[in-house]
Amino acid sequence: MVFVMKSNYIIFLIILFECTLFAQNSFDEQFNLTKKLYSDENYFDTVTELKRLLFFNPNSEYIYSAYETIGKSYKQGAKFSDAIRYFTLAEINALSVDEIYNSRIDIIRVNILRRTTDRAFKLLDSLEADIRFNDKIDEINYWRGWAFIFADDWENAAVTFAGIDSTIELTVLAKKVDDDLYSVSFAKTISYIIPGAGQIYTGEYISGLLSLGWNILWGYLTIKSFIDERIFDGIVIANFLWLRFYRGNLQNAEKFAKEKNLIISNKAMNYLQFEFKGLKP
Amino acid sequence: MKITELLFFFMLFTSVNPAQTKDFDFSSPINIKKFADFLFCDRDYLRAALEYERLISSEVKDTLLFKIALSYSIIGDYPFAIKYFGKIPYSSSYINEAQLELIKTHYLMNDYYGVRSFYNNSFIKEANKYQLEGNKLFNFSYLFTKDELPSKEKFLSPFNLSEKDEISEYYDWKQDPLYKSSTIAGIMSAIIPGSGKMYVGEIGDGIVAFITTTVFSFIAYDNFKAGHNTRGWIWAGVAALFYGGNIYGSVAAAQVHNAKITFEFNDGLNVFLQKNNYYTPAYGFCDEK
Repeated sequence: MVFVMKSNYIIFLIILFECTLFAQNSFDEQFNLTKKLYSDENYFDTVTELKRLLFFNPNSEYIYSAYETIGKSYKQGAKFSDAIRYFTLAEINALSVDEIYNSRIDIIRVNILRRTTDRAFKLLDSLEADIRFNDKIDEINYWRGWAFIFADDWENAAVTFAGIDSTIELTVLAKKVDDDLYSVSFAKTISYIIPGAGQIYTGEYISGLLSLGWNILWGYLTIKSFIDERIFDGIVIANFLWLRFYRGNLQNAEKFAKEKNLIISNKAMNYLQFEFKGLKP
Repeated sequence: MKITELLFFFMLFTSVNPAQTKDFDFSSPINIKKFADFLFCDRDYLRAALEYERLISSEVKDTLLFKIALSYSIIGDYPFAIKYFGKIPYSSSYINEAQLELIKTHYLMNDYYGVRSFYNNSFIKEANKYQLEGNKLFNFSYLFTKDELPSKEKFLSPFNLSEKDEISEYYDWKQDPLYKSSTIAGIMSAIIPGSGKMYVGEIGDGIVAFITTTVFSFIAYDNFKAGHNTRGWIWAGVAALFYGGNIYGSVAAAQVHNAKITFEFNDGLNVFLQKNNYYTPAYGFCDEK
């Protein structure tokens, strides 16, 4: 009697095992299909098929990889909020410290890419403070450097990259960009002292000379009016013409410095996007 | 002995099994339907629509068509939404909802003449339900166009008491919009500098325009009077520039004011309609059962 019971139990186990085996195989195939779709850059279908896999097999062994790949696919389609949602799900379902780390880095990279760099810095700080990731400090700093680049803080980017041995190219680039950038406050300050000097500093010579000329003309007429005791004329010229051109000169100096800085930053970003071979956000 | 045999067969079977596995069928209609329903309730509407579309060849159900149309409508693919709402047969239990959704889709496409034409040619005849809602949307369409409004009584008749006050305000606003004439603004500023801007409501700008034009004109006059003709002409030129600028500025201010009024009016209407979900019902496809 005991023997019959045992054999029934074994048969039951076999059937159960077989059922699981059937499912496993087809889900394997589905997972392999999604890998192929991803490698073919068919990101829309990758997401669809991975969602299908997760829907029918929510507790599968692929759950981390599936969420991570969905996140990556959304990121490729510039659906950054969706990407972060799925990277977070990947982190929740991570089975090892490495998987947790990779998910967080993925989230940080998306935050860098969409320029929510404050969030990226906070996440990087929390990673750095976590003792489980003490051996990853260089990599954490690498992404911190990128966050500084996207925050348009090339000086700190250069300092951060300089602390990592393998990032000479990025260090040199960030330092060069930082050196090339115009100081907006300096441009404004020298324009306060000599109208047009800020524009000349940013390379806008004609605009600078014109600004200087207008300010000399209206300044001369204002002073001459006061000397000739035409006080009302003097006040009106000073208020409506001289001050107007003086203020315009300051605004122009600031505007030109910002525009030139944008061109320099964009040129560097263009290089990073198309020519830089290393890891990018 | 029996157990050993059993185990042997088991091992044999499992080792051969993968090659012969009858897979879990992701593409069976029932699984596609389950997955599409999940996507629909997860608000992934494009994928949901595409999954539902896969089922159309195997089974044509009006619920499927309705959900596809609804998905396309939500993601803003209105031509497809119209196509699928239009495919719902008249015998379907969703025909009334589909008709109302078609009016909503025309609204979302800013096709207000389409709203009226569809209402008159199809909705009134085909829909057995939601006539009141359709009538409200039909009347609303007049607020978006320049066509003559129906009488206030007729216009307000389909609306509830709770809605009537707000709708009545919109009706009055449309009847007598707070527009300012750019011609009047220009003429006023030509007569008294700055007055056109004040008429438009830009009091501060009007005062500044008045003072600057007057001051420069006075300086020009004073210089001519003192015999400084060259300076007089320079200041006259400056005064003329400010005078011309004041007229142009008044005309532009009236146009900007009118554009702002139109924008605020349309925005208010759209917010009202969105708040009421264009009078379409909640379908409860994703309610917990």
